[in-house]
Amino acid sequence: MRHTTAVVNRIARIVYSSPACIRRHQSTLPFRKQLKDEAKLRKAQRGLINDKNPENDSGEDWELTVGLEIHAQLNSERKLFSSALTSITNELNSHTGLFDLSIPGSQPLLQKTVLLPALRAAIALNCEIQLESRFDRKHYFYHDQPAGYQITQYYAPLAKNGHVVLTQEDGIAPEDYPEVRVGIKQVQLEQDTAKTIQQPPDDVLLDFNRVGHPLIEIITLPHIHSPQTASACVRKLQDILESVNAVATGMELGGLRADANLSVQQRNTVGECSYSGVLGLGQRTEIKNLSSFKAVEDAIIAERNRQIQTLEQGGKIEGETRGWTLGSTETKKLRGKEGEVDYRYLPDPDIPPLLLSGELIEHLKHTLPALPDQQTSYLISSFDITMKDAKTLVSLDRGLRLDYLAEVFDILAKLGHDSYKLGRTASNWTLHELGGLLSTHSVPFEANPVSARALAEIISNLQNEQINGSGAKTLLSLVFAGTERNIDQLIVEHNLKSRNFEADEYRTIASQLLEQYPKMAQEIRNGKTGKLQWFVGQIMRASQGKMDAKTATDTLIELLGI
Amino acid sequence: MIARPVLSGLYASCPHGSRSKLKYPRFNRCLQTVQQCRHKSTPSKPLSANEVKDLLSTPTWSVSSLIEQQHDDTPAETITQKQLHHLLRLSALPLPETPQEEAKMIETLQSQLHFVRAVRNVNTTGIKPLYAIRDETEESMQAMRFGLKDLKEELDKEEIVGFARRIRKKSGTATAQEEETVDVLKLAPNKIGRYVVVNTKKT
Repeated sequence: MRHTTAVVNRIARIVYSSPACIRRHQSTLPFRKQLKDEAKLRKAQRGLINDKNPENDSGEDWELTVGLEIHAQLNSERKLFSSALTSITNELNSHTGLFDLSIPGSQPLLQKTVLLPALRAAIALNCEIQLESRFDRKHYFYHDQPAGYQITQYYAPLAKNGHVVLTQEDGIAPEDYPEVRVGIKQVQLEQDTAKTIQQPPDDVLLDFNRVGHPLIEIITLPHIHSPQTASACVRKLQDILESVNAVATGMELGGLRADANLSVQQRNTVGECSYSGVLGLGQRTEIKNLSSFKAVEDAIIAERNRQIQTLEQGGKIEGETRGWTLGSTETKKLRGKEGEVDYRYLPDPDIPPLLLSGELIEHLKHTLPALPDQQTSYLISSFDITMKDAKTLVSLDRGLRLDYLAEVFDILAKLGHDSYKLGRTASNWTLHELGGLLSTHSVPFEANPVSARALAEIISNLQNEQINGSGAKTLLSLVFAGTERNIDQLIVEHNLKSRNFEADEYRTIASQLLEQYPKMAQEIRNGKTGKLQWFVGQIMRASQGKMDAKTATDTLIELLGI
Repeated sequence: MIARPVLSGLYASCPHGSRSKLKYPRFNRCLQTVQQCRHKSTPSKPLSANEVKDLLSTPTWSVSSLIEQQHDDTPAETITQKQLHHLLRLSALPLPETPQEEAKMIETLQSQLHFVRAVRNVNTTGIKPLYAIRDETEESMQAMRFGLKDLKEELDKEEIVGFARRIRKKSGTATAQEEETVDVLKLAPNKIGRYVVVNTKKT
């Protein structure tokens, strides 16, 4: 964690600078103190100590349990129960159906276009699709909900009993290595509400475009035990949903929201609460409307610390709903138990059950896009790309970068190369060399001027030793800047063709330079080996960048006698 | 699922399914008749027109049996003012203005709950709940089931691209057909620009 080092340092300073401690250091540290210090350091590493009071050592360890509820806006053309078009960027209040506004007499009509993204999401999360599910009303009054109730699936959801696996590479907390399997209780369809803007003191401004937009709510089981893992879980779920085209935008643009439910329990004790078959939990509180991955992690840390502090001081945790704003240090109470809303769930009598055929589900399973994990394993096994680069490629530019790389591999194969051997090279050029140029010149990938063929030919020439590294970089810059010529023409035009120099030629140039600059040569012999690079640079200049840097370095070393 | 806190009190006094506590003998009889009729798929012989007229001339049961309160002892549970106000708040209904109005509301509510208690006393073990009255024949369910052919049109609008078999909407598929919308700005009493304005001050 970010502040771990600071906390550990602070503890170390306090622990090792107290007079008692200094005294004791002169003899040996008492075993009891050693154990306490170790426990403190362990706690600090897990961020369990309140920054303001690092000496707060109750001697007890606490276990955190987190369950998440994620609301994702489906990538659907139309709303859930009205034929109005969904809109993300359209003019305010321009797509509102009769049923969305709850105009008296309007009736709901399920739009089948929502089924594709919803089912793909549920399948990607390994759920059992329920061939029969139903819709229920969740009643509460709020200005962003014209009907006075939200249509959701409380009693019979669309899908149940899924799971998602998070590994080390997904960014889970170190204490959860090597992997965590987070169970998914259910995935259900529901409606979204209107967008509101507060206009103090009492008014709100409403845009009803979003009312009735189809959402899925993904409810995980309380299988998460660390804030970092919770944040990683939300990120992973977003990646999976994006990969199967179930969502159009992510958390940054408001397409995904998360609520966290968490409780703490003293280690080696059993709590009285339970959730969906997970027993022995403490009383939980809910944090609503977390809108970024960082907010998920920070809010859970803050709430966990608050709960531990309350319990250590002998207080009790109330089953509350709490809120979090960016930059806070503590969650804020929104609703207590007395303000708990009675939603009066009832099956919606106007909506028939949602019946699906097994044939449709099978078809969607077979045509499901490759999930992020499948893509990264394929890249690693077929092209020897590193896990870090593979993960970057999978999520960059909505998969366009990866398609580009795949095309590069295709062309390289046609040119007779072994894709596995060139895997890392090609991915480096695509991610770092080309990526570097794109970001330096602020060009989005969609406007990339370097065709896959151009990049493949550059790499091919490099591999065939027709050009050297710096020549290849020059070629890339030329193509990036825009040119009509093809690679072969450019090589000729700019005299980039490398030629194999004889060892004698290296010695000639090297000894010439050493004669020209005897003082520097002597400094190198005396130990300033850094200056060697300058000589190498001079050799490269003299040979118009065509000599091999390593051979030049070796020759210089040989001639200098070091 | 109305007023859960109120009805939980009722459950304490009238356990679900216990017919011995029924105070409505006429209703009980009617129930028995209905149950007997269920087992009879066809009558032994058709009734004559006069027999039918006789059968229908006097009612065997009246709903008033369920709201008659004078025959009962004190009702199982008195509704308090607090409970009434809670229910009114949940339903976004205005609170009563005079004590007489409040007393009338409570009286009505109690007799309604009397009725509900009677309905809840019916033994429904093993019976699947009815969610709505609709055609649940095999053919009808088959017709409602979404199959591959029902989504063909939607699937045709998509194409599979690239290395990871990503799904993308085909370019050029028209989407703006048959959208049923209503101009909310015309209906809104208060607006600023294209926003609808709502005042949230509690009155």
